[in-house]
Amino acid sequence: MRHAICLIFVAAAYAQAPADIEFFDKEIRPLLRTNCQGCHSVNSLNSGLAMDSRDAIIKGGNRGAAAVAGDANSLLLQAVRQDGGLKMPPGRKLAPEQIAKLEDWVKRGLPVPQEFVAAKRRKSTHWAFQPVKRPEAAGVDELVQKKLKEKNLTPSPEADRVTLIRRVSLDLVGLPPTRQEVADFVADSRPDAYERLVDRLLASPHYGERQTRHWLDLARFADSDGYTIDAPRDIFPYRDWVLRALNDDMPFDQFTIEQFAGDLLPNATNDQIIATGFHRNTPSNYEGGIDFEQYRVEAVADRVQTTGAVWLGLTLGCARCHDHKYDPISQKEHYQLFAFLNNVDEVDKEADRKFFNKPFLELGSPEQVAALAKWDAAVQDVEFRIRKHQETLTQDADKDPKLIELRAELNTLRKNKPQVQRTLVMRELAKPREHYIHLGGDFTRKGSAVQPAVPAVFPPMKNPNAVPNRLDLAKWLVDKDNPVTARVTMNRIWQQYFGKGIVETENDFGLMGDRPTQPELLDWLASEFMAGGWKMKRMHKLIVMSATYRQASQARQDVTAVDPYNKFLARQNRLRLDAEIIRDSALTVTGLLSEKLGGPSVYPPIPKGANDVTQVKREWKVSEGEDKYRRGMYTFFQRSAAHPGLITFDAPDSTVTCTRRVRSNTPLQALILLNDDAYFEFAGALAKRVIQEGADKDDAGKLTLAWQQVLQRKPKASESQRMLAFLTAQRDAQKVKSEQAAWTAVGRVLLNLDEFMTRE
Amino acid sequence: MQPEDKYLLKRTRRHLFRECGFGIGKAALASLMTDKLLAQVNGKHHASKVDRVIFLFMAGAPTQLELFDYKPELVKWDGKTTPESFLKGKRFAFMDTFAKEPPKLLGTRRTFKQAGGNGMWFSDLVPHLSTVADDIAMVHGVSTENFNHGPAKLFTNTGSVRTGRPSIGSWVTYGIGSESKNLPGFVVLQSGPRGPRGGAALWGSGFLPSSYQGVPFRSAGDPILDLSNPEGVDAEQQRRTLETIRDLNKMELEETGDAEISTRIDQYEMAYRMQTSGPELIDFKQESKETLEMYGAEPGKASYANNCLLARRLVERGVRFVQLYHTDWDHHDDITKPLDRVCGEVDRPTAALIKDLKQRGLLDRTLVVWSGEFGRTPMGEVREKGKIGRNHHIDAFSLFMAGGGVKPGAVVGGTDEFGFSPTGGHINVHDIQATILHLLGIDHLKLTYRFQGRDFRLTDVAGNVVKPLLS
Repeated sequence: MRHAICLIFVAAAYAQAPADIEFFDKEIRPLLRTNCQGCHSVNSLNSGLAMDSRDAIIKGGNRGAAAVAGDANSLLLQAVRQDGGLKMPPGRKLAPEQIAKLEDWVKRGLPVPQEFVAAKRRKSTHWAFQPVKRPEAAGVDELVQKKLKEKNLTPSPEADRVTLIRRVSLDLVGLPPTRQEVADFVADSRPDAYERLVDRLLASPHYGERQTRHWLDLARFADSDGYTIDAPRDIFPYRDWVLRALNDDMPFDQFTIEQFAGDLLPNATNDQIIATGFHRNTPSNYEGGIDFEQYRVEAVADRVQTTGAVWLGLTLGCARCHDHKYDPISQKEHYQLFAFLNNVDEVDKEADRKFFNKPFLELGSPEQVAALAKWDAAVQDVEFRIRKHQETLTQDADKDPKLIELRAELNTLRKNKPQVQRTLVMRELAKPREHYIHLGGDFTRKGSAVQPAVPAVFPPMKNPNAVPNRLDLAKWLVDKDNPVTARVTMNRIWQQYFGKGIVETENDFGLMGDRPTQPELLDWLASEFMAGGWKMKRMHKLIVMSATYRQASQARQDVTAVDPYNKFLARQNRLRLDAEIIRDSALTVTGLLSEKLGGPSVYPPIPKGANDVTQVKREWKVSEGEDKYRRGMYTFFQRSAAHPGLITFDAPDSTVTCTRRVRSNTPLQALILLNDDAYFEFAGALAKRVIQEGADKDDAGKLTLAWQQVLQRKPKASESQRMLAFLTAQRDAQKVKSEQAAWTAVGRVLLNLDEFMTRE
Repeated sequence: MQPEDKYLLKRTRRHLFRECGFGIGKAALASLMTDKLLAQVNGKHHASKVDRVIFLFMAGAPTQLELFDYKPELVKWDGKTTPESFLKGKRFAFMDTFAKEPPKLLGTRRTFKQAGGNGMWFSDLVPHLSTVADDIAMVHGVSTENFNHGPAKLFTNTGSVRTGRPSIGSWVTYGIGSESKNLPGFVVLQSGPRGPRGGAALWGSGFLPSSYQGVPFRSAGDPILDLSNPEGVDAEQQRRTLETIRDLNKMELEETGDAEISTRIDQYEMAYRMQTSGPELIDFKQESKETLEMYGAEPGKASYANNCLLARRLVERGVRFVQLYHTDWDHHDDITKPLDRVCGEVDRPTAALIKDLKQRGLLDRTLVVWSGEFGRTPMGEVREKGKIGRNHHIDAFSLFMAGGGVKPGAVVGGTDEFGFSPTGGHINVHDIQATILHLLGIDHLKLTYRFQGRDFRLTDVAGNVVKPLLS
C-alpha cells in the first residue's frame, strides 16, 4: 500500500509543469542547499532526515514526514516558521519571503526535476566496511616481515627457551610452568618440541579458563546486580558455559549464535539457553522509587553498544542520541538494532517489582523451583526490612540490636538456600514491545516507530524471518559476508599476544578509529579464521607458533628510533600480567593453587574493611579449604566493592564491556604485593617449600631453587649475591632465629619483582 | 599507563611537552602522585584560583527548606493540598503514592535568622554555619537529573546517571595531577551509619586508568588498605626488603631496557613513603586542644568531625581532591529528631573547617563545596502516622561553596514562594561541575578523554560556569 502511494507521488512529480520545475530550481534548490542540506543529506542524516531528494523529504526522519504535498502544516513549514517546538535552521530564522517560498512549494505539491526525485544510496569507501580480501601469503611472518622490510627493520632473534615456555604458558593457560616442565622443554631437542608444548597447553583445561576470563571482560560479567542494592545474582552457570565452550573449541559462529539467541534455536537445550546469559550481565537497578522502564532501556542500550564494540568494532552508543557524527550509522539504525534486543521479558513496571531480574532458567525439578521462588520472596522481604530499618538508624549500624537480628535472619536464609541452581537468561516476550526512536536518547520522547533491521552500510541479512529476530541478528553477525566480525575478533586475539591489536582502537574500526598497521595481515587472519570454520584454538596456535610471537622482547635502540611504539613488531612486548594472573602465578609457584574447574564463585581473603563502603553491607565470608586458593577468575565479583586485588591491578569494573584492559603501575599495587596478608602467606608457603625441597642444599642452592620456582630461571651471579646479602642481614637482625622467617623474607622480595608480574 | 606514555617518559621532558603539546592528561603520568611542576605546566587551561578541593557530600539529600532556603509563604500554606500547577510536568520518586493521597504542603517548623552582610538565611539547625556567612557563597534552586539516590549521586560525581564514567576527583587528578608525593591525589573519607549508595562507583575512575580512582581512607585501622607492614615485619626489615627489590629491579631494567621497570621502581618508593607518612597523617596529637574542640574531633573516633580535620591535614599535604561522605540525610518519615542529630554532627565541624582553613591561610587556594545529591520537596510525606518528612526533589535544592575565587557572602539563584522551582536562571549540577573545574584552572569543555569513539567529559554535553558565584 505504502509503495503504491509512493508511486503515485513519483508519477505526479514526473508530470510537473515546466514552470514549477523552474520555480524549484530557482527558488527552492538554493534555499535547501544553503539552509538544510549541511545537516540533512544522505551523507549526514541528522535526525535521520535527508533533504536532498523528494523521496527523502516525504519519507522524513525520526519525527516523521518532513513535508506532505499540499499540507500547510507540514513539519518543514512548522520548523522554519518556528511556531512549534522544532526550530530550524538552528540558531537563526529564514527571512519571511524565504518561508513564503517554501510554503508555496509545498502548496504546489513539492515539484522537483527528475534527478531530485529518488533518494540517493549511501556507499562507504571506509576500509573496514569493504569485504575481507585474502592476500597471497604463506602466513603471519611473511606479512609482518614484509612491513618490517619497508621500514628498514629486522626482526629480533627467538627468545631463549626458558623465556619462551614462561611466555607461552602465561599466555595460553595463564599459569607459569613448573620447574619440571621447564627442565623437560629445555632438554627436548626434537625439532617440534615447541609445537608439542603449544599443543599440550591448548589441550589443557586451563586454556579454557584463560580464554574465558578474556571473554568475561567483554561480557561485563559480575556476580552481583550493581547499582545501589548490588545483591548477589545467579549467573555463574553462564561463566561455566563459556568455559566448556572454549575448552571444547566451539566454533566462533556457533559461540556467537548461542550467546545471542540460544533460546530461539529449534529445540533449544538448557546449555543453549544458559549461553544467553551473555547479554543479561548488564547491571540491574531496583532501588525504591525508580522507574523500571528507564533501567530496562539502559540495559538494552548497553546491549546494543556491547554488540557494536565486541562484534562490529563500532561505537554504536554514539548514535543513541543523534546520528553518528563520523560513521555511517543513523540514530534510526541504532534503534533498529535496539529493536532486536528490546523484546526480552524483563521487568518494566513497578507492579512486577517482585520478579526483578527475570527471566531465569531454573535448573531443577518443579518442587525445587517452587522452593526457590519461596526462598526468593523471603530474602526480598528481609532485605527490604533491613533497608527500611537502616534508613531510621543514625548511630553505628553495627551495634544496633534489631539490625543484628535482621542480618542474622538473612544469613540463616542465605545458608539455607534451596539447592537448585538458576541463571539469568534471555526469553522473548510473547507480544513484542513497540520500538521507536528515542529523541535525544530520552526514552520518554518517542520518535517514529522502527522495526528490527541491520545498518545499511553492511550487507543485508540472508533469509531473515518476516520480522527479523535476535537469531537473525546473530546469524548476520557471523555471516561470512559481514566484513567486520572476523577482523574485529582476530584483532582482539592478536592483542592478547602483543599487548595491542593490528588496529590499536580495538573497539572502533570506524572512521575515527586507527588504521590497521598491517592491513594485509589483518585480512589474512580474518579470512583464515573463517576458512578454518571459525575454530579458535587453531588461530591461537597459528599466532603463538609464529616467529613474530617467539621473538625476544629486549628493547632495541634501532627499533626505538624508527618505531618507538613497536607497532611493526620488530620485537615482542613485555606485558604486565593481568590482575587474576598475578595471583594465580603466586598460587602456582607456592604450590597452593586449587585446580578445580568451574562452580559457584568463591571468596578468597580480602583486606579488612575493603567491602564496607557500600550502602547495603555485604558479608564476605572467606571460603574454606581449597576454595580459598582458586584461580582469580572464580573470585566473587561484587560490583560496588570489588576485590581490591582485582581492581587495583586494572580488572574491569564490569559495568560496561571492556575490550582492552589498561595496564597501570601504581603504589597501591606495591602495597598489596608487599603487605597484604594473602601475599605474606604466599611468601611463607614458598619459604616452606624451599626449605623442604632444598634441605640438602646450601643458601646459594636454595636461592637457585627459589628463583626457578618463582621466575623459572636460575639467578645471575649479581642477583644471587644481592639476595644472599639480604638473607644474611635478615638473619642478623632476628631476635628469635627462624629459617622460615628468613626465607619468607626472600619470598616476599621475589613475589614483588617486576619480572614476576611481567610476561617477557 | 599507556604504552605511548612510557616511551615518551623515557625520553626527555622537553620531548614530552613538544609531542603532547599541552594536551591534558597525556602527561599527567598514570601515577597517583605527580610531579608538581609537570602538573602546573601541563594541565591548566587558564590561571587557577584554587589548588585543591574539599567536597563535603551530604549523602541522602538534605532538606534545603529546613536549613537555608527560607519560605515564609510555605509556612502560611502549611497543610494545604499542593496546587496542581506546581506538580505539572515534574517527576518525583514514589509518585505512585500521590494517587492515593494528594501531597500536602509542609511549612518548616524551624526558626530562621539572617546572618552576614548580605542577609543569608540559616535555620536554628545550623548555628555554626551562620557564623561563616561572610565566607561562603550560597546557591539556591540547583537542579539535577534523577530522583533516585544512587543515580543522582553518580550524576553529581560523574556527570552521568549511569555507572562507568570517571568521577570528578578522577577527572581532576587526571587533568592536573596532584602535588603530594606521599599521598594519593584523590582521597575519599566516610562517616555516618552506612556507606553511600552507589559505593565505589562514586569515586571510580570509569574508563580512565585505575590510578585515578579515589582512594578510600578508613577511619579505623589502616587508613589505606595494606598500608601497614605484615605482622612481624618491622620498619627496618621493610626498608631492607624494599631496597633489595629496588636493586634487583634495576638489574632487570639494565637487561631489558623497559621503561616500565623504572616506573615500577618509583611506585615502590612512593608506596614506602605512603607507609611512613600515613601514620603521621592520622596522628591528631599534633593538633592543639583548641583546634580539636573547634571541630569537635576526638582522636581515634570515626566521625564527620574527625574527617573534616583530616581533610584539612590532607590538603595541607598537597592532596588535590578530598571528598567526604556523610550519610543519613534521607528524611522521608521524620524531619524532627533525626534531622537534629545529623545537623548536630555536621554543622559545627563544617564551620570549623572553613574557619580553620581561613586562619591558616589555606582557604585562599582551597575550594570547599557542601552539597547533597538533590533536595527535598515542599510537600510533606507521611510514612508513619504522627510523623512527617519530605520526599526527593530534584528541581531546586541548595548548596554552598567557599574558598579561592568564590564570591564571599554571595547568594546566587533563588526559588519560587514554595521552593518548587528556580526563579531566574537555571543552575544544574553540570554547571556546578564546570565551576569547580574552572576554579582549578580547567576548562570543562577541554578536559576530555576518548572512549568508545567519543570524547567524554565530566559535564557531558552541558555545563556553564556559574559566573555570579565568582569573585
